[in-house]
Amino acid sequence: MDSKDLSGPRYWKSLDDLSETPAFKEWVEREFPAGASELNGVNRRSFMKVMAASFGLAGLGVAGCRRPEQVILPYSKQPENVIPGIPVYYTTAQPGNRSHTPIIVETHTGRPTKIEGNPSYVANGGATSGFTQASLLDLYDPDRATKSFTGTQRLSKEKLLDFIAQLASEAKQNGGQGFAVLAEPSSSPSRMRLVESLKAQYPSMIWAEYSPLHDAASEQVLTELLDQPARALPRLAETKRILSIDADFLTGDNGIAQSRAFASTRKVKDSKEAKQMSRLYAVESSLTQTGSMADHRLRLSCSQMAAFIAQLSLEILDVAALNPELLASIRKIAATQELDGRWVSECAADLLAYKGQAIVLVGEHLSPAVQSIAVAINQQLAAPIDYVEIPAAEAGIELIAQKLKTKQIDTLLILGGNPAYDAPADLNWSQLQATAKRSVYFGGAHNETAELASTFIAASHYLESWGDGRAFDGTLVPVQPMIEPLFDTFNELELLARLAAQTETDAYSIVKSTFKLSGGRDFNRFLSDGLLSDSAYGKISVAPSAEKLFKLVAADSVASSAATLSMDKLELRFTANAHSYDGRYANNGWMMECPDSITQLTWDNAILISPRLAKELEQTQGVQIFPSKKPMNKDSAFFEAAKGTLQTNTAKFKRGKEQAVVAKLTVAGKQIEAPIHVLPGLANYTLVLPLGMGRTVVGRVGKGVGFNAYPLRTSQGLGYCLGATIQLTEKVYPLANTQEHWSMEGRAIVRESTASYYSKKSDFATQMGVESHAPANYGKDKDKTLQEKVTNQYRGNSAYKHPSFTKPAPNVKVWEGHEDKFPDVQQWGMAIDLNSCTGCNACVVACQSENNVPIVGKDQVLRGREMHWLRIDRYFSAEKYDQSEIPEDVQVSFMGMMCQHCENAPCEQVCPVNATVHDSQGLNTMAYNRCVGTRYCANNCPYKVRRFNFFDWNKRQIGEFYKGPLGPVDEPELQKMQKNPNVTVRMRGVMEKCTFCTQRIEAAKIEQKRLAGASGDIKIPDGKIKTACQQACAADAISFGDVSDVNSEVSQAKASDRDYSVLGYLNARPRTTYLARLRNPNPKMPDAYKYPYAYSQYKKRYGSAAPSQHSKGASHVHDAAHPAH
Amino acid sequence: MATTSQDPSLDPAQAALLARVEPAVLEEQALVTNNRDFNWVTNKICRIVETETPLWWWVCMAVALATAAFTGIGLLWLVSTGVGVWGLANPINWGWAIVNFVFWIGIGHAGTLISAVLCLLKQGWRTSINRAAEAMTIFAVVCAGIFPLFHVGRVWFAWWLFPIPNANGIWPQFRSPLEWDVFAVSTYGTVSVLFWYMGMIPDLGVLRDRAVQRLKAGLYGKGFSMQQAMDVFRKYLYGIFAMGWRNAGNHWRNYEMAYLILAGLSTPLVLSVHTIVSFDFALSVLPGWHTTIFPPYFVAGAIFSGFGMVLTLMLPLRALYGLHDLITQRHIDNMCKICLGTGSIVGYAYIMEFFIAWYGANPYESYAFINRAFGQYWWAYLMMFSCNVFTPQLFWFKKVRENAALVWVMSIFINVGMWFERFVITVTSLANDFLPSSWGYYSPTIVDIMTFFGTFGLFSVLFLLFLKFLPLMPIAEVKFVMPAADPHGAHGDDKGGKH
Repeated sequence: MDSKDLSGPRYWKSLDDLSETPAFKEWVEREFPAGASELNGVNRRSFMKVMAASFGLAGLGVAGCRRPEQVILPYSKQPENVIPGIPVYYTTAQPGNRSHTPIIVETHTGRPTKIEGNPSYVANGGATSGFTQASLLDLYDPDRATKSFTGTQRLSKEKLLDFIAQLASEAKQNGGQGFAVLAEPSSSPSRMRLVESLKAQYPSMIWAEYSPLHDAASEQVLTELLDQPARALPRLAETKRILSIDADFLTGDNGIAQSRAFASTRKVKDSKEAKQMSRLYAVESSLTQTGSMADHRLRLSCSQMAAFIAQLSLEILDVAALNPELLASIRKIAATQELDGRWVSECAADLLAYKGQAIVLVGEHLSPAVQSIAVAINQQLAAPIDYVEIPAAEAGIELIAQKLKTKQIDTLLILGGNPAYDAPADLNWSQLQATAKRSVYFGGAHNETAELASTFIAASHYLESWGDGRAFDGTLVPVQPMIEPLFDTFNELELLARLAAQTETDAYSIVKSTFKLSGGRDFNRFLSDGLLSDSAYGKISVAPSAEKLFKLVAADSVASSAATLSMDKLELRFTANAHSYDGRYANNGWMMECPDSITQLTWDNAILISPRLAKELEQTQGVQIFPSKKPMNKDSAFFEAAKGTLQTNTAKFKRGKEQAVVAKLTVAGKQIEAPIHVLPGLANYTLVLPLGMGRTVVGRVGKGVGFNAYPLRTSQGLGYCLGATIQLTEKVYPLANTQEHWSMEGRAIVRESTASYYSKKSDFATQMGVESHAPANYGKDKDKTLQEKVTNQYRGNSAYKHPSFTKPAPNVKVWEGHEDKFPDVQQWGMAIDLNSCTGCNACVVACQSENNVPIVGKDQVLRGREMHWLRIDRYFSAEKYDQSEIPEDVQVSFMGMMCQHCENAPCEQVCPVNATVHDSQGLNTMAYNRCVGTRYCANNCPYKVRRFNFFDWNKRQIGEFYKGPLGPVDEPELQKMQKNPNVTVRMRGVMEKCTFCTQRIEAAKIEQKRLAGASGDIKIPDGKIKTACQQACAADAISFGDVSDVNSEVSQAKASDRDYSVLGYLNARPRTTYLARLRNPNPKMPDAYKYPYAYSQYKKRYGSAAPSQHSKGASHVHDAAHPAH
Repeated sequence: MATTSQDPSLDPAQAALLARVEPAVLEEQALVTNNRDFNWVTNKICRIVETETPLWWWVCMAVALATAAFTGIGLLWLVSTGVGVWGLANPINWGWAIVNFVFWIGIGHAGTLISAVLCLLKQGWRTSINRAAEAMTIFAVVCAGIFPLFHVGRVWFAWWLFPIPNANGIWPQFRSPLEWDVFAVSTYGTVSVLFWYMGMIPDLGVLRDRAVQRLKAGLYGKGFSMQQAMDVFRKYLYGIFAMGWRNAGNHWRNYEMAYLILAGLSTPLVLSVHTIVSFDFALSVLPGWHTTIFPPYFVAGAIFSGFGMVLTLMLPLRALYGLHDLITQRHIDNMCKICLGTGSIVGYAYIMEFFIAWYGANPYESYAFINRAFGQYWWAYLMMFSCNVFTPQLFWFKKVRENAALVWVMSIFINVGMWFERFVITVTSLANDFLPSSWGYYSPTIVDIMTFFGTFGLFSVLFLLFLKFLPLMPIAEVKFVMPAADPHGAHGDDKGGKH
């Protein structure tokens, strides 16, 4: 029989039925049916299909039942090491422009489902960024490129190979004349080897590289100063004082390693260590994560940074020993702006006091003069920096643009990137690209550049490809495929190898050869470790040349020209976008829905403006930006007494939706229209424009999301530019903001103190909030140890009876005397160190990836239905407590908030159907199958961490939720492949929330039982289980483990006197506790503060504050109820 | 000038004093005015059912049915698509559905209070309004029940809230106030239906007997007549439901006893249902919900809204059916006074909440209440406060109570105010709770609004059917409070009976 029979509706009821067929009879009669191929009609595959179909039907019993017809094919040959349900981990690396990120990928039966950092790469310590986590989703993007095209004609693999061969032969004929390649920069040594070979073979070929956010200005300056291509690698772990000049060093290419190193300098075990904490000064034009971690923060425009660093250098550098001409040019730059002299001198004094442990970091968008002065300062400070030698940079996009203009390029090959979208606006790339006779685009998605190309070659995702690269410090890392290419896509290395007419054209061999050439020996070990140790870039010990330094400083006209900014002469700063970076993640739903940690905006970018500018615009242009109505009258003594005053939102909200005013932004004759979002902490006249949104040729996710800032960005001002004006319109655009209220309202939620106050008063964290004067939560047992509390105290309220694992079954005599074989059930708990958290959101994406958390789309986020199990709350606090004004200077506090696993969980008590219950390990569990969706639990959750499936998020597509049964009901196969099979995919109408990654706990328990064997030692060692959020955290802010074990990491953390429960007075007894945050201000600074703003705000409103703060009569009333802390 | 009958035992000085001050006679207005006899009462009430259906009824029915369809469509969309079609979101996971539930359940309170509590307290004036009020109770419970049932995410599993033995061995969670709600509301519904039906048995007997009499009297002649067919229908249908009522002495004795027992059973329910409904809020940890004042305050509010609704319904009926002799100014006065009393209790509770919030010195609590009144939902609070606290205070004035049109308008205000009270409690507390990071704003969708709007249609459909097919007032009980029923009373005195 033919296999086509299977596709029809004909089925056999049973094998016997089938056995009546002559072919089957014949097959059975043969004594040794050795090979399926010998048979007529029935081959091995169709036999398997028949088997599957008949078993499927046998299971149904009655033909005609309308169950979904599915053909289940078992592995005809079980691959080795693949056990369904048991993940297999492979190392690989995520390619980036300046470096590759070493990662480990979790795969289930061949499907990559989760990305984790590779802990073998010590600098990152197993942590990842949100982008790295989310890059997995691009593999399963339903809109990704699936086949190659020439015009509208499909290019089969064979035709594609012919096409490449043709390109190669053409290039060969004329030595590469008229042939140009524009590639994304890459650290891959294999690619570099192939490029060299290309260049050698086709000497006239042009190879240029471009990436819009290739932050390598410092490398260019260093290359000049050190006479060789170099990169600075700060050893932040050794620092005590850091000055960041618009350098958001906690994000970006080396952000993970730097966050990790920085966090290590901020870790404080107890009050004695408090004073050893490092101190961070940040001078910023935009409010960044780095600025939010700063102990002192100065708002300055990008164009004022040169003056700042020049003034600083005059304090730090040995002025007498300086070349007088250099000194003169530094003085000239310093004189361009009037700055707070005391801020500069005290900061400089503090840095100098920590010579050898102090460092100055400079943003990559700042001019060469700033970069070079920083190098000189760091040299003077003996800053812990390594300069390493890196491969030389290639030519930039300008070269190709120029050749295109002069029509010298016939064939333009664009390898990745998206120049038609993100090239500097002055190049006019879209028109230029059309001037090439033939443009070939090789990329992973059909985008703006592909649209213009005559030939499109679909690129494989990195999880489908072989490759290699270097980590930021130069360590060689492999890129190995996790899965066969899902579609008809092509690998970059293979493309280049064929172009270079290499004999070795498969990527695996190329990578292996490169590995051998780089001195590696054990390729398999390389793959299993995920890196080649001791392969980092070599250090350079050359001192920067003073002469070159002078040249760079003197030649910098931007730095030495005084720029006065005003409302009519604004500065524009271009930054990477928290959602799509430079545009490459534009079709990535996880990133789109992941709130920007500072603005908390999802699915959009906005022109960020300072409150002062907003006020001036409001006054001069008559368009309302701020909310008009003060919700509560601040002038009334009654409200002051009742502590009901509210700090107004920075944005206008209408029915919970941010109503952003749309503005026309003009610079140098170019104009865009975009919504504005007022953000405290910005330099007054600097507009911050996140790039990478507003893509036009993009998949369904990225369509109509945000605005495109690239049209304003020219080669002259890639980092920032001057002379912009803004015109407000009457139009209003709703922004999906996940946090509407910026202020903590003086509540003791994020508890903060200064390092010096903490060293004097180590119990400040527990002396805040209502619990400090409410009855003790554990009553007479309040002084018991954590271990006693978690094992002996009333908890849970479960109606289920759990089997006791802690003692032998009562009727089994055999185990008597072996009670030690039954250790206590481990009690899981978590501690989050608020002092370390930088609010990077990696945990949010990691949780989404691990736990099959769906995305809901902008419309639903606007309605407040985002599904994140873990969110980062961001609070601003200001020095002056004035609820009528939006503060210009703020301190930022982050708090990761997820299910707290309360022992007395308010949610459990109110669920009418027992769907959320406690288990013996102290987890607050959710029985999805039992949930009917009354949502009472979510209402009663004080932390508001429960998430409800208002629609069938998984089965319905974004934008079609409201269609009900009339809309399509199924999840695309491709999306299904990403799902973690160990976590239930929730249906509509059920509640869900953080489970402490219960699947990881269970997997560890099973593994431990296997390891224990007869020994009965089923206690999971500390550190074996890492929750997804914990694993992703670069700052090691999250510790998780057994709180009944006094020695576990989490117990150690909870033993800190900074440990507190959020809303502890409710007596919910959360298993997740927080370690209060510390700030480390310099008392000599002009902006020094005795307490962090959040703390003084708390003291003023709810605490017993110093007598001077009691001036308002009304506020006494409330304080009377508070005994002295 | 009123004459004063003086006790001869008074000493002359006192008598002189009394004569000088001329104490006024406190007239007690009769419960049935215009010296009506028993027959008039029977005819008046039975003819509503027996005569041809008036045009206005048909018009109202059509409108009511069309309105009720909104609820049907809204629920269909909801169940087929997901709870997301409503305006709910984090942090406001309960919105209009729960507001409407509490609103309707509250309305239901007057019926039982009138029939049970006032019966036990021997308040004669209850008789003309109790039947309709009880009907209102039952229909309000029907409307109320829709919301908690359909607001759940997976309505097809809503039966899990009932303690049905099952193979999984999972029982409902008996510590959840929502679970208590299931029992409280279903008990309340059941007892209300029983009480209503029990009280109706003698009247059903009357309707049956009248139909039988007409059939026997040969009124209809030969050939088919609609009236005749209806009477045949009445004969059997009322016959079945009258359960063999023969007006016998022992029937009356059993009836009175059963009625008293049911009144006794219902009385605690009047208090328990809304107490338990208030536990949905009071037993949570949420600032603004977690207060001990809720049970009495909810019960008072429920009675307040219930009487508001009785006024809203009875005043038009009185005008439409010409029932001025049965629903007299005295009835309206009494209802207004109850509204005044319960409205004042509610107002006291509103103020007391603020005091406790301040006195409790808990920043979350004090914020919740200040925010309620002056925060983003200030308009709802203002609506609630003015309708519920200021409106009933006008009932201190006799002039106001005597103006039926004004009373009717004010009763609507009370209904609106009480809906807003539930909205304020439910939504404002959820919208701004502990962590300012998760503060939000709730606004309903068109589906929310239409589903609620439709329940008024459903209620009206049921009430119109009640008017058409069942006696609007308990005929026998009304007769009990008439002067003619009191052989020792002042016969022929046009002041009527004294009860």
